[in-house]
Amino acid sequence: MEKTINLTVNGETRSIAVDVNQTLLEVLREDLGLTGTKKGCNQGECGACTVLMDGKPVSSCLVLAVKADGKTVMTIEGVAKDGSLHPIQETFNQKGAIQCGFCTPGMILTTKNLLDKNPNPSLGEIKEAISGNICRCTGYVQIIEAITSLAKEKNARGGV
Amino acid sequence: MTDYKVVGKGLPRIDGPAKAMGKAIYTVDVNLPGMLYGKILRSPYPHARILNIDTTAAEQLPGVKFIMTGKDVGDVRYAFVDTPRYPADEHPLAIDKVCYIGDEVAAVAAVSETVAEKALSLIKVEYEILPGVFTVEEAMKPDAPLIHEELLEGTSAWEDWGVAQKKQQREAEINVNNMSGHSAISFGDVEQGFKDSDYVREDKFELKATAHCQMEPHAAVASYDPVEDKLHMWLSTQGIFLKRFLLSKTFKMPIGKIRIHHTFVGGAFGGKIDLFPYEFCAAYMSMKLGQPVKIELEREEVFMATRQRHPMVIKVKTGIKKDGTILAQDIKVIADNGGYRGSGPIVVFLCHGFSFPIYNVPNYRYEGFSIYTNSGIRGPQRGHGAPQIRFSIDSHLDLIARDLGMDSVDIMLKNIRHQGDLLPNGDRLNSCGLKECLEGAAKSIDWENKRMQFKAQPQEGRYKTGVGISLCAMFSGAMYYPFASAAIVKMHDDGTATLFTGAQDIGQGSYTTLSQVLAEELGIGLEDVHLVAGDTELCPIDIGSFLSGTALVTGSAVKLAAADAKRQLLECAVEVLGVDDIGELETQDKRIFVKDDPEKSISFTQAIQTSVFKKGGNPIIGTGSYKGYSETDRYPSLAKCKGLFTGAYGFAAHAAEVEVDILTGKVKLLKAVTYHDCGFSLNKTIVEGQVHGCVSMGAGQAISEEIVLEKGQLFNASFLNYQIPISLETPESVDQLVATYEPTGPFGAKEVGEGALAGILGAIGNAVHDAIGVRVYSLPITPEKVLRALKN
Amino acid sequence: MRLPEFIYHEPENLQEATNLISEFNGRYGIIAGGTDLMVKMKQRLQNSQYLISLDRIPALKTIKEKADNIIIGSMNTLDDIVNSEIIKEKLPCLKQAAWEVGSPLLRSVATIGGNICLNTRCRFYNQSYFWRSSRETCCKAGGHVCHVTNQEDACYSTFVADTVPALIAYDASIKLVGVDKTRKLSLADFYTGDGRMPNQILKGSNEILTEIEIPIPKDDIRSVYHKFRVRESIDFPLVGVAVMMKGIEEKHCQDARVVFTGVGSAPVEAKLAREKIIGQQLTPDLILEVATMAVSELHPVKTDLMSPNYKRGIAQVLVEKALRDVGGVNNGKDD
Ligand SMILES: Cc1cc2nc3c(=O)[nH]c(=O)nc-3n(C[C@H](O)[C@H](O)[C@H](O)COP(=O)(O)OP(=O)(O)OC[C@H]3O[C@@H](n4cnc5c(N)ncnc54)[C@H](O)[C@@H]3O)c2cc1C
Ligand code: SF4
Ligand code: FES
Ligand code: FES
Repeated sequence: MEKTINLTVNGETRSIAVDVNQTLLEVLREDLGLTGTKKGCNQGECGACTVLMDGKPVSSCLVLAVKADGKTVMTIEGVAKDGSLHPIQETFNQKGAIQCGFCTPGMILTTKNLLDKNPNPSLGEIKEAISGNICRCTGYVQIIEAITSLAKEKNARGGV
Repeated sequence: MTDYKVVGKGLPRIDGPAKAMGKAIYTVDVNLPGMLYGKILRSPYPHARILNIDTTAAEQLPGVKFIMTGKDVGDVRYAFVDTPRYPADEHPLAIDKVCYIGDEVAAVAAVSETVAEKALSLIKVEYEILPGVFTVEEAMKPDAPLIHEELLEGTSAWEDWGVAQKKQQREAEINVNNMSGHSAISFGDVEQGFKDSDYVREDKFELKATAHCQMEPHAAVASYDPVEDKLHMWLSTQGIFLKRFLLSKTFKMPIGKIRIHHTFVGGAFGGKIDLFPYEFCAAYMSMKLGQPVKIELEREEVFMATRQRHPMVIKVKTGIKKDGTILAQDIKVIADNGGYRGSGPIVVFLCHGFSFPIYNVPNYRYEGFSIYTNSGIRGPQRGHGAPQIRFSIDSHLDLIARDLGMDSVDIMLKNIRHQGDLLPNGDRLNSCGLKECLEGAAKSIDWENKRMQFKAQPQEGRYKTGVGISLCAMFSGAMYYPFASAAIVKMHDDGTATLFTGAQDIGQGSYTTLSQVLAEELGIGLEDVHLVAGDTELCPIDIGSFLSGTALVTGSAVKLAAADAKRQLLECAVEVLGVDDIGELETQDKRIFVKDDPEKSISFTQAIQTSVFKKGGNPIIGTGSYKGYSETDRYPSLAKCKGLFTGAYGFAAHAAEVEVDILTGKVKLLKAVTYHDCGFSLNKTIVEGQVHGCVSMGAGQAISEEIVLEKGQLFNASFLNYQIPISLETPESVDQLVATYEPTGPFGAKEVGEGALAGILGAIGNAVHDAIGVRVYSLPITPEKVLRALKN
Repeated sequence: MRLPEFIYHEPENLQEATNLISEFNGRYGIIAGGTDLMVKMKQRLQNSQYLISLDRIPALKTIKEKADNIIIGSMNTLDDIVNSEIIKEKLPCLKQAAWEVGSPLLRSVATIGGNICLNTRCRFYNQSYFWRSSRETCCKAGGHVCHVTNQEDACYSTFVADTVPALIAYDASIKLVGVDKTRKLSLADFYTGDGRMPNQILKGSNEILTEIEIPIPKDDIRSVYHKFRVRESIDFPLVGVAVMMKGIEEKHCQDARVVFTGVGSAPVEAKLAREKIIGQQLTPDLILEVATMAVSELHPVKTDLMSPNYKRGIAQVLVEKALRDVGGVNNGKDD
């Protein structure tokens, strides 16, 4: 069964015909070519497929594409503006928070959501926020350092 | 130390921006026009004979393009180990028998994943279920069912290359059922050593299988072009040249007819070296159809049917003098390699290889067996044998220290090896920071004050803390096809350079560190380096990213290539700058200077122009190659553990502080200290990242990670049930580089990335004992085991 | 595996939804957040011909105070619960339980209704289609054997939802709406205790859970939820317990509820323990006795990777701690 949905992806509103049994992850990767969103488990257990739906981080492998009808979705491809890295992306790279990079898109989007709603997270809040995003390479140390330094930077600039 | 401009700095990785933006293309992201989707049908039984496979219904399903079974490719064999003694025992698809749950039985290519999945459910396989063996004890029994009955013939890359003798005699003397590999060695007189000892103790340790958990699932895209008769592949792999070699061997195709293209690799940890059936099948079906075929494994398949770490039973017996001098040691290792040989013979060899470089034991005996069972295949995983053997030996020494009322660090210090030592096999420790690592780690964890807390004064309350320490060693590259790495440095008119390397960046940062080596040697900035990597057609041969060889072997090749380019540049400058010899010149910032008169200089661009006009049009291309081995004919023997093993050993000491909840049995790693001797750190940020990653993986394997099997069936093939560490468990992580200088490595660098894992297991095990006063002899140290140990 | 095929409906009001339910009797699934259902469908544990989404029914998304009750629409996400001011203030134990479900990525879409209706779990059942094909189909999946107990036609799969113990401790009731009938029942009565069909909706009542009604606790009520799992995110509870206590002035307990998850095929309320504690003065000894009694009422079976004995031990630790927490009894060394 097909259905046409209206989806705003990375600021662009589009009308797409999807199969109702397609997940949002499949539509993003296969139909829209947004392969930056990764599939690590396909069962909601790893966070590699994280996207922001109406601003909130969700595992897109568990979301039916039809459920995103009328919603706003941000994928990793929408984070950098005008070809230059977003401060989160920049800091992740500076601090060594990226190794193989497979968890990175999800990790960055989760971080974005955290800092958007809480510019001054504590260490505990940082660890909690990314606790659904698994990274095998980094042991999280440099990811946590990167987010901590972003929080500090934001504070120094006076909020968001 | 020399004042380096590019190496030794914590520069951000060059592939970081692409990865941060989601632009980095991994194999799973490769989409080609007309691409078909493949799926693998697997055996649901651990041991069974295939009586019949009926594919008729599946063939009739619209959208199905190809179905292959073992009959199509019956004679094809390959394996990680393929020698006369240990011939290859894997087939892309089972012929008449399956040996573990997940064993490949058939493959399908269809127009979509959905159709391919449906087709699998329509293939009817008739099995006759055979009795299985699920533990090494069962498997070794004289009357145990045999998993592989027939004796096969094999040849290895070594023989093909003439670097090893042909046809050795099979070992007839060892008569153990289901044995897939055997290593044995001894030196000194072990029995006498025990007799001369003041104290002798024997312990048995057990370690469970663990999973790599690379976040990117295994995947392959194959595209055969009938017009050029060429097979193009995109693979998630650690070594493109090894894969190409194995593909060429299995397809009996000239090696030049296969091209592996670059993709990023979403983690590997040793689990993406072997040739896998899904890769073979994708290629085979693409060749039959003339259309691209993609096969992407599901997470469950990755857990079940790629590779796992070998579960082991390890016995260690040590004789020691009152003053702590180890006189004799007897080690027995039994590794379970699953339904196929995998890396069984290698891991039992490596357990020796990672045991003997640490302590100087005059009387030593080692014997290792790898054994077939009807469970998933075991292969290399970060450290490959080191975590198991290091955990066992250092747990055992800690127990001895406790028995004798001694400080285990004192015992370690008394027996460790030092720089300059000649190992029994002939390897020399040209660099060895073991002592500094051990002392540093002990100090950092506050060893003197914190150890033996449970004894000194019972800790109040529910949470007990303790500290532990352990050591490890790792090879920096070893003998494996293609044995060597080469690199090309191509100069551009603007003075920048392109590095061509066949190395794979599997997340360990090799693209960045190799580019740094180039930049430093040539005298340009990191931003002046362009990179072409990971493509068998465009890049020179490379040893691959395993056995920790990239930094040392490929790094050396890159350095030589850069030096070659630099020499050519300098030769052009000699005349222009009016000096006598290139020794009077130096480079920096894409310019060539006269050392004594820096005002006199020309740009690389000018030098290149000079070269083009005066040197037969030479635009300057530097080349270099390096073999991880000195020129020798003493190649290592797996069975006899003789010969030279590696050019350089990396060392580390780990200290851990844990907190044990004695009511629930939960162990929490509070602090992990790693003192790591990687020679010279080419990139501080990257090396730290490797260490943190190792600590996390090691901690997971010490505390919570375990492949749970019942009669060969895997109960936790998911991230929900296979418990790999999450952010909330991140300990305070201290890492300190102990800078030694490895004379054979680029800028003195050697391995990092594997060794930093092995010691953390023993450190945690010892820390748990320190906290609660009792030992848990098997890993992982689960809450239930802690409570059981406390009860007894 | 990818999702199987189905026909998708998005009714815009309850009437429409219940009409569809009665029309598709037995061949439909209800999807709320989908965090459980999507996995089940990928694993082919559920193969509904029709999916009915509750997304577009605004009435199910409110949280409001009405008279002496708090009414929570079933389609509120667990994030909505955690962030709701009323719930934070009046139902801290529910907030705590909701916050401990899965990981942040799940709580942003998982609903409280889905949590209440969550199917029971078992290590032989919650596996892929391929995995299950190695063995005979078990009772819960439609066969006749049980791989845990080797009994026929009996299933002991385990109830593991986190929010339910808290809700039962608060004496919550739920509203179930069918095509021509609406009923209210106490949440505890919603569960059958039969692992095959653990609640009334799963048993086939053709109803939708629309709202949860919770009497606003009086000021003298204190409650906590303690969850034990190996990792403090992602994982389901191995054991969870909600403890509510009333009137602990002077350390005399007027009433108490102790409700577990993770130890049976339904949420388990420790009734003997309740009787034991009422009217008593809380002392460390009494707490130990009550906890031991509570645990004696639990009969977990090995449906996950931990042994039943271990789970009982954990239950003991959790209840003791919870009783001490709500009772304000501090024994110093174990906390
Ligand atoms: C990795 C992972 C970890 C998890 N960890 C936890 C955990 O720690 N604790 C926990 O409790 N759960 C956990 N869950 C399970 C699940 O995410 C939650 O229970 C969640 O609250 C379910 O809500 P949902 O809206 O997503 O339900 P859905 O998946 O939409 O539905 C679940 C079931 O309830 C039925 N249903 C839903 N709403 C209604 C309604 N209004 N009327 C009638 N029937 C309805 C559906 O038909 C279905 O059978 C986890 C899941 C995953 C994938
Ligand atoms: S308890 Fe028995 S019947 Fe129930 S799901 Fe588990 S194996 Fe199946
Ligand atoms: S791929 Fe969606 S959570 Fe793992
Ligand atoms: S960087 Fe590899 S999984 Fe996180």
